[in-house]
Amino acid sequence: MSAYVINLVYLMLSVALLLGFIRLAKGPSLPDRVVALELVASIVAGMVGVHAIYTGVSSFLDVAIVLALTAFLAAIGFARFLERGGPRDD
Amino acid sequence: MTEILVSALLLIGAALMLLAAIGIIRLPDLPTRMHATTKSGALGTALIMIAVAFYFAEVAVVTRALAVIAFIIVTAPVAAHVIGRASYFVGVPLWEGTIKDDLKTSYDPETHYLRSGFEEDVPKKPAASKKTTAAKAKPKR
Amino acid sequence: MIGFFWNILLALAWVALTGNFGGLNFTFGFALGYAVLAIAQTQLPAIRGYAQRIPRVLRFMGFFILELVKANLKVAFDILTPPWHMQPGVIAYPLSAKTEFEITMVANFISLTPGTLSLDVSNDNRVLFIHAMFLQDEKKLLAELNEVERRLLEVLR
Repeated sequence: MSAYVINLVYLMLSVALLLGFIRLAKGPSLPDRVVALELVASIVAGMVGVHAIYTGVSSFLDVAIVLALTAFLAAIGFARFLERGGPRDD
Repeated sequence: MTEILVSALLLIGAALMLLAAIGIIRLPDLPTRMHATTKSGALGTALIMIAVAFYFAEVAVVTRALAVIAFIIVTAPVAAHVIGRASYFVGVPLWEGTIKDDLKTSYDPETHYLRSGFEEDVPKKPAASKKTTAAKAKPKR
Repeated sequence: MIGFFWNILLALAWVALTGNFGGLNFTFGFALGYAVLAIAQTQLPAIRGYAQRIPRVLRFMGFFILELVKANLKVAFDILTPPWHMQPGVIAYPLSAKTEFEITMVANFISLTPGTLSLDVSNDNRVLFIHAMFLQDEKKLLAELNEVERRLLEVLR
């Protein structure tokens, strides 16, 4: 695999991760942070895939599966929590 | 040949994720941010997983990559819907450029009843029974 | 669904009988099983209509991927260029899907298309509330959503 492509993809994903973290820290409301967290989880899942190609170890894919599932569960849990809480203004 | 294909898939996937990240920073309110993140993020992960499947080209890896894609494609819209609904009902403000809001007029925050605007079409349904359905609908949420 | 299960079973039987556990051989077995089921479906009520369903599913997938790419480009263009072209808003979309399963699938596919996001269903299951990013032409948007829903219901029913 061409090292240029891998490095470029790593760079793009890192910038994306950084931007996601900025929104996670800044996010005016809690749902904004939840959305940012979900984006971060899917970027990390993508990074795991790239790392599997880079190292040639396919077992890393299991991490991506678990990550995708837990991110979904976290989003559902947060939404339940928000709806139970009722109207709010933070 | 496969190397070019894998490189192209990786680059497109990473570009989509970068796009989602730029979107989440730039867009002005929560629903529009979710437009950017859920679709582009899910599609980007799916493309990278397809690249992984092509790169290894083994049955075990392809199955796992397809499993990741299936999870993401199934769960992304559900998560988006759940968060979008919760944030709307919690009262996260919409962008001032929003030109229309049909949901606001038909949603009753007291009873959590959501009217469709078609109730008049259903024959033989007096106003009193509508109230009882509204009361029944409350514990469901 | 039962037809698809039988098709997989026939493909597995083909793979086991030929003793070649490869992806290509499995695909060939699947094609053979499909041909067998297409001939047998006139006699078996349980799998009737199965042979017509697979091409429809493939056609829907092609149509949907095309829509996905088009809408993604539109959203991408608006994110990357400084002035906002978008006019977001929440619209009510009258559903023609009836059962809970159909409504779930329609809502999910609408959510997957960039530019539209399903927020909630009214309590009597007749209207889907959608957050749309480009509301310049509401009639056209509703017609497009109707097209997606019609093709999806064709596959599901």
